Amino acid sequence: MIATFVATFGIGIATYIAIADSGGGSPVCLAGGSGCETVANSTYSHLLGVNIAIFGIAGYVLLLAASLLRGDFARMAGFGLALGGFGYSVYLTYLELFKIEAICQWCVGSAVLMTILFGLNAIRMVGYVGRPA
Amino acid sequence: MSGKSARDARREERVRAESEGEGQARRKRLLQIASAAVFMAIVAVAVLIVVTGSKTDGGDTELEDTALVSRELKGIPQNGMVLGDPGAKVTLIEFGDLQCPVCKGFAEEIIPDVIDSKVRSGKAKVDFRNFTIISEESIPAGAAAIAAGKQGRGWSFIELFYRNQGLEASGYVTDAFLTEIAQGAGVHDIAQWNKDRKSAAVVAAVEGTSAEAQRLGFTGTPSFAVEGPGASGVETLGTPGSADQIESAIDSAAG
Repeated sequence: MIATFVATFGIGIATYIAIADSGGGSPVCLAGGSGCETVANSTYSHLLGVNIAIFGIAGYVLLLAASLLRGDFARMAGFGLALGGFGYSVYLTYLELFKIEAICQWCVGSAVLMTILFGLNAIRMVGYVGRPA
Repeated sequence: MSGKSARDARREERVRAESEGEGQARRKRLLQIASAAVFMAIVAVAVLIVVTGSKTDGGDTELEDTALVSRELKGIPQNGMVLGDPGAKVTLIEFGDLQCPVCKGFAEEIIPDVIDSKVRSGKAKVDFRNFTIISEESIPAGAAAIAAGKQGRGWSFIELFYRNQGLEASGYVTDAFLTEIAQGAGVHDIAQWNKDRKSAAVVAAVEGTSAEAQRLGFTGTPSFAVEGPGASGVETLGTPGSADQIESAIDSAAG
């Protein structure tokens, strides 16, 4: 299933950002530039003292679980989680563009994955919810 | 037999129709919940963006050049108030006052060249020391920089302060301004930073380096000195007029 693959990839990206931050550094931009450092150093990179990448890992793990389970609960939970993740990604992209004024390609990568997961979970929910597995 | 099986078939048909009806109702209810969730998510994101936008937009303390400072210092170690490889042979000492406009000019025009040519390569490190000459407000500003240095953000703080400097002794060095600079510089533990910057030891350190600058014969800011294997102790440079002069002094001090 595509959602399983995408969620696994998302766990990888979020884990990389979290590890890079915990080492006192910041993620390295593959194409050069310092966008990632600027974003990682900004006050928006932490929520209640916790790096938001940690929340990202938790979100992707739950989305992975939802993609592997069957039934309406998994469909609704997957949709709800992906909706929350997508909404928060929209907010973070807004912060990057208009507040931090720097773009981190890892964050953009995560936002793209979250958008794909939202699309897949929306199709799954609208197409199958309330119908037999 | 045929009558019984016809009855069974009718019952099965009825049960299937009922369960299909229940399924449809359940599906409708779940889709309604999902629609409500989408609506709430849109509202939540819109509220977050509006709240964040109004927090700093239009304020007279909105920070300038956060990204520029981050780029300038990227990848260079910061230890306390020292920028650069701790093992670098030459130490360039800058005695500055965060409120001083000439120091701001140096931070924008001269120091970036020195950082690129000598500090980034590991040839020299720069040690910022407070020399408070403008007004009393320079003391809490310098203490805030040292407190940021305790979290590895000393130079980020200094550079960001200079780029957002206000008019000398105009009262702009408030707790709110210093906190904004600290946050922009990437100081993670603001509570600890607040504790450190108000501690007697940190304030004494600001006063101590000011006294040291006077002992070296400096009367204005920024004033520079170099230390290294090719120098005899701390060699004073005064206020050099260009990055070239500082770079030559670093080369001589390297021996």
